Amino acid sequence: MTDFVSTPPAAAPARKATLLVLAWNRWDLTEKCLATLLATDLENAEVLVVDNGSTDETPQRLAATPGIRVLRLEKNLGFVRGNNAGIAAADPESDVVLLNNDLIFNQHDWLPRLRAAAASDPKIGVVGARLRLPDGRLLHAGTYILPDTMWGQQIGSLEQDLGQYTTEVREVEGIVFACAYIKRELLDEIGGLALDFESYFEDTDYCLRARVAGWKTVVCGSVTLIHDEHGSTQNDPDSLGRLFQASRATFRAKWGAELSGRYKHRLLWQSIMNFPTGYAMSCREILRALDSERVEVAYRYVYGPRTVFPQNEPENSEDYRLNVLRTRRVSWRPKAAVVYGQADVFGSNRGRVKIGYTMLEVDGFPRDWVRAAQKMAEVWVPSEFNRQGFRDSGLTRPIEIIPLGVDTNYFHPGLSAFPNPHGEYVFFSAFEWGERKEPGLLLKTFNDEFGCDEPVRLVCKVINRDPGLKLKEEIRALRLRDQGGRISFLFNQEFPHYQLGSLYRSMDCFVSVSRGEGWNMPLMEAMACGLPAIATDWGAHREFVNEGNAYPLRIRGTIPAIAKCPYYAGYRWADPDPDHLRHLMRRVFEHREEARAKGAQAAREIADRWTWRHTARKIVARLAALGA
Amino acid sequence: MPNDRDALESALRIARLEARVAGLEEALVRRSRELRELQRQLPGRELLNLSRRAAGLPPVPQGRYELEIWRETTALSTASVEETLLDLWQSLTPTPSAQR
Repeated sequence: MTDFVSTPPAAAPARKATLLVLAWNRWDLTEKCLATLLATDLENAEVLVVDNGSTDETPQRLAATPGIRVLRLEKNLGFVRGNNAGIAAADPESDVVLLNNDLIFNQHDWLPRLRAAAASDPKIGVVGARLRLPDGRLLHAGTYILPDTMWGQQIGSLEQDLGQYTTEVREVEGIVFACAYIKRELLDEIGGLALDFESYFEDTDYCLRARVAGWKTVVCGSVTLIHDEHGSTQNDPDSLGRLFQASRATFRAKWGAELSGRYKHRLLWQSIMNFPTGYAMSCREILRALDSERVEVAYRYVYGPRTVFPQNEPENSEDYRLNVLRTRRVSWRPKAAVVYGQADVFGSNRGRVKIGYTMLEVDGFPRDWVRAAQKMAEVWVPSEFNRQGFRDSGLTRPIEIIPLGVDTNYFHPGLSAFPNPHGEYVFFSAFEWGERKEPGLLLKTFNDEFGCDEPVRLVCKVINRDPGLKLKEEIRALRLRDQGGRISFLFNQEFPHYQLGSLYRSMDCFVSVSRGEGWNMPLMEAMACGLPAIATDWGAHREFVNEGNAYPLRIRGTIPAIAKCPYYAGYRWADPDPDHLRHLMRRVFEHREEARAKGAQAAREIADRWTWRHTARKIVARLAALGA
Repeated sequence: MPNDRDALESALRIARLEARVAGLEEALVRRSRELRELQRQLPGRELLNLSRRAAGLPPVPQGRYELEIWRETTALSTASVEETLLDLWQSLTPTPSAQR
């Protein structure tokens, strides 16, 4: 497994910091916390332990611990008052870092990095860290809260920590105050934690107060601390529940209007999100990005009985934010609605301003799609390839290009990797077996070009959901040579989407030889992870693939798109050139530095231009232009 | 007569030994036939594992990553990237020339 910790922070003046550890009983936790904390780089920092009225051995043990100052409170004042007592006792010139006593400090330079993040922008007031559970799962990379439920959610929570959210400085709505670096200027301006809360919501409240005063809250992605969550109170779930509900009511009364007022647009989004399809995966990302861009989106499933996809959608998307969007109320005729899916469901659009957002993998669109698109105020497609296809098919309505994107928190070159330990160079491809993806061309060409004695392998992640298709027979029919390049298959295995970046990072080169693409999300995600890529030089992905960041695969021309999919009938797609594919694979295998450089360039370009935030901002611009 | 008895015992021992050799030859032919049949019927990986077990070595780790070992299905199975890749790499026999 590779390490994903970034380069050391730039030198920043070591502003004095008071590290405020709040403790109440549980000496076992406090002892471990202090032992690990005191072993880290604490230049120009003082450790102040606030003993919040402990009744166990904590007072005596603290008195015997060197290197700390102790503030003893006679009774437990709770999290807020306890921390405020510590802030009041801190050096009035110093920044303050609030720390829970159930933290474990396993990173020597955590404080210099938080300091550097705080110093990177004069308007940064609060800096948090990534928090990880002792079992290796990510617990916290910032927080968000939806006005609908007023229930704060932690970003990245409980995912296996594979290096997601490691951007050095990333602005967020809030952080949990298990670890919070607060600048002195902010403390001087807005004071300590609000006394409206005894525990819970005080951290989100503080970040909102900071924002109202013009300060930013960020997470420093290069700092990860271990948090044995709720260590000091985990034996009393009833009191936790009571505290939570009381604080939530207080928070709603205080911030409800402010949070609801943050939305600038309202939109009905009719699509699909709880099935393993390309539209569903991208729909989820677009919805999250739109919410972040202040669009109050309500989601409704656009397929179901009497549509081309008659299944009912499962209710649970296993994502809190998306579940809330699904239950938002919406009028029967909302001002604006987007149907994101195949154009043959555009007729379900309920908006007064109707927008249809679709894509297809061939050079034109079926007649009934065009008829449905003609009834839209405007049509969105992700690529010039599809805009031209619609125009050629007779659509006369306005067509806007709204590209899809990538979440660079989950797809970036610094992710954990599990590379082949045998040292073989690994080409990788991921596809559902079918005519469009041209698997035979890839397997046959690789097997012909390489020999089994060469240190190279092709790994194919293959999906087959068609009971009429016998994959073993299909592959045997290719008559692959025993002495040819060796191929392994990941067959019908589904990985959590958040882990796919790690899969790509574990390979050396991504190959996509498909005949046509409406976008090619796996290719874009692999490129965002810094993988060099070979991809057919035809289709929608030409928006982001070029000679400078990848290896475009020449085509011999276009041929009739003959496939099971009825939408392709009468249209054409690409005929990739096997000789050029052979040449490109050999080229990448023998010129690895060149390939790595292209991969690195791809990762930079995608992070700069092709994220979901870019997508959401283009959508917001279109909504504004349409008066929606 | 001692000489006649010695000759008789000797002839009997030879006869027993000849019978034993004939039995062993027959067993060898039968075993060879069985091995040839195994070689015809078993996939390469099973044959390799049979040899490794016979030599007191552990079997090559099993993976689901080669055509012959797949179970053809249209059902998707959920997997973790880390566990799957570690299993995949472990199941492979590296090329001798592999250098990273």
